[in-house]
Amino acid sequence: METLQHILNGFAVCLQPINLMYTFIGVFFGTIVGVLPGIGPSATIALLIPITYGMDPTSALIMLAGIYYGAKYGGSTTAILINTPGEAASVMTAIDGYQMARKGRAGAALAISAVGSFIAGTLGVVGLTLFAVPLTSMALKFGPAEYFALMLFAMTAVSSLAGKSPAKAAISTILGLMIATIGIDLQSGQPRYTAEIPELQDGVGFVIAVVGLFAVTEVFSSMEEMIKGVRPQMIKLRGKLWFTREEWNRSLMPIMRGGVIGFVVGVLPGAGGTIASIMTYVWEKRLSKHPEQFGHGAIEGVAGPEAANNSDTAGAMVPLLTLGIPGGGATAVMLGAFIMYGIQPGPLLFQNRPDLVWGLVDSMYIGNIMLLILNLPLIGLFVRLLYIPGGILMPMILAIATIGIYAINGNPVELYMLLFFGIIGYVFRKIDIPVAPLVLALVLGDMMEQSFRQALTISGGNPSILVGSTICLILVALSVFSAVLPFLLPRLKAWREGAQADAA
Amino acid sequence: MADRLIIACCVVLALAYFYGTSQIPSLEIGDPLGPKTFPYLLGIALLAATGLLVVEHWKETRSAAPEPAKKTDKADRRHLPVLAGVVAWFCVYFAVFETLGFVIATSIFLLALMAWFNRGRWLANILSAVLFSVGSYVMFAWLDVRLPAGILPF
Repeated sequence: METLQHILNGFAVCLQPINLMYTFIGVFFGTIVGVLPGIGPSATIALLIPITYGMDPTSALIMLAGIYYGAKYGGSTTAILINTPGEAASVMTAIDGYQMARKGRAGAALAISAVGSFIAGTLGVVGLTLFAVPLTSMALKFGPAEYFALMLFAMTAVSSLAGKSPAKAAISTILGLMIATIGIDLQSGQPRYTAEIPELQDGVGFVIAVVGLFAVTEVFSSMEEMIKGVRPQMIKLRGKLWFTREEWNRSLMPIMRGGVIGFVVGVLPGAGGTIASIMTYVWEKRLSKHPEQFGHGAIEGVAGPEAANNSDTAGAMVPLLTLGIPGGGATAVMLGAFIMYGIQPGPLLFQNRPDLVWGLVDSMYIGNIMLLILNLPLIGLFVRLLYIPGGILMPMILAIATIGIYAINGNPVELYMLLFFGIIGYVFRKIDIPVAPLVLALVLGDMMEQSFRQALTISGGNPSILVGSTICLILVALSVFSAVLPFLLPRLKAWREGAQADAA
Repeated sequence: MADRLIIACCVVLALAYFYGTSQIPSLEIGDPLGPKTFPYLLGIALLAATGLLVVEHWKETRSAAPEPAKKTDKADRRHLPVLAGVVAWFCVYFAVFETLGFVIATSIFLLALMAWFNRGRWLANILSAVLFSVGSYVMFAWLDVRLPAGILPF
């Protein structure tokens, strides 16, 4: 009952005019970055963190979350109209969405994406509301050893599911952990790997790393494409922005199934929206009576995956809020934001700041309604963003990144660090090393080392404490399982490639 | 080829990291592990992951057809000098960021990049470069973020 009251109070928080405004700003920005192929939600959230410094943390988090789930709505627009996912998770939407657009059904594809996203997004937030409290009561029993095991699981899961090569993903994770060790060690006060550079004393600022790895890298890649002259053809939006009754009947069940799959996958660490939408696509194709239509403009192939990648965001908020452990790149950046405001998400936050937690969760219901409005009648406005030449947009993103980093400390040295991470990210992309594991590890690194050391201090140095409880054992077993999964299941790969090949 | 480079880099990095770790002074009070243990484990983990990559690479070279993608290699390189130029130009921008001030430095920075990547459309480029610089300066001043004024009086 107490929880119910907290949930209702959360609405009182998020319905305050100021928070409604920040919800709107968040989902509005989210839609924009979703539509623009150059820049994704992780980079945008990171870019906005410095600006939100002076703000009330609740409002700031409401806004940043809005960017996160808002981007998923916008991502489908670009996927449908120019066959380029505006956001990684929309990759499956592009397959049938673009084909629909070529057949003159762009309006229907966009409308079903928006409506499906709304239904599944709301479904996801309901799931988040229901599952959060039971999970926190479990999380309250977690000690340092359990937290260490949990982070280990999050990282191995992300490594084993990111990209083609688990070894490269593992390298990326470990490099992230290594970067996290730079700076003064909080327990002993010793500087580590600072090479006498004062800027490194406090460690590598994670905002710098994230903006560099996501935003600057993305600009470099886009510039490369511009030089090589690959420019996708945009399909003009014509006709009514709505679907027929028959199309709706075909889409409803895929939306519901996608919504459930997306939420479950979102809760689990590692997988994320892209995998949720691939799974839904493959599933819908198998269930369909006309699988041959998939890849040639089947509306189920738009509705299902689009639903999945929207309920995924709500699912991903579950471990972030209840355990304080993100399961992927964007939520890792969100955790970074929490930490910047001096807030540690986790079970205690539900006890100490129910207004913040539920204000944030409830704002997602409101935000989804706003997004439905933004993405149906107003989608035409956002589509115009795609007419902005990349040659103007990309340099501006570099300038925005510079402002964002300079705004933190006013230190020009950090600008060069930004550039350094941008180059690293670009090189990593060229040699197929995924950066999401690195970002996750960078954000969790300090906490992971702390809990590792605390656990061993408790046990007097005996490492068996790391598998000393049932929860630890389960988590370690899950870590081992997810680490060997890519080797046990090469079929999974074949399955995914099969889905993509069928689609192409 | 790229794999071999990664492997070499990782080994060098792991060794450097081991060396760096050994240089951390430690006082071993209260904390049984000290500031070095976790880093040492990370170094070992990096070597292990690199070993995994060696295995992956070995498997791939055995199964894959020998070097089919050689032809595209050369044509694909033309973006590199331009990107190097962008990086250098970015550094110049940082160097004058505080002395010239945000508005002027950013206008020039953007204009040059736009002139290259959005060639020929001078009016649009000048307008967007200047409006962006002035606009963001004003907006951030309103948000209480002071960007360097530099040689401009305001």
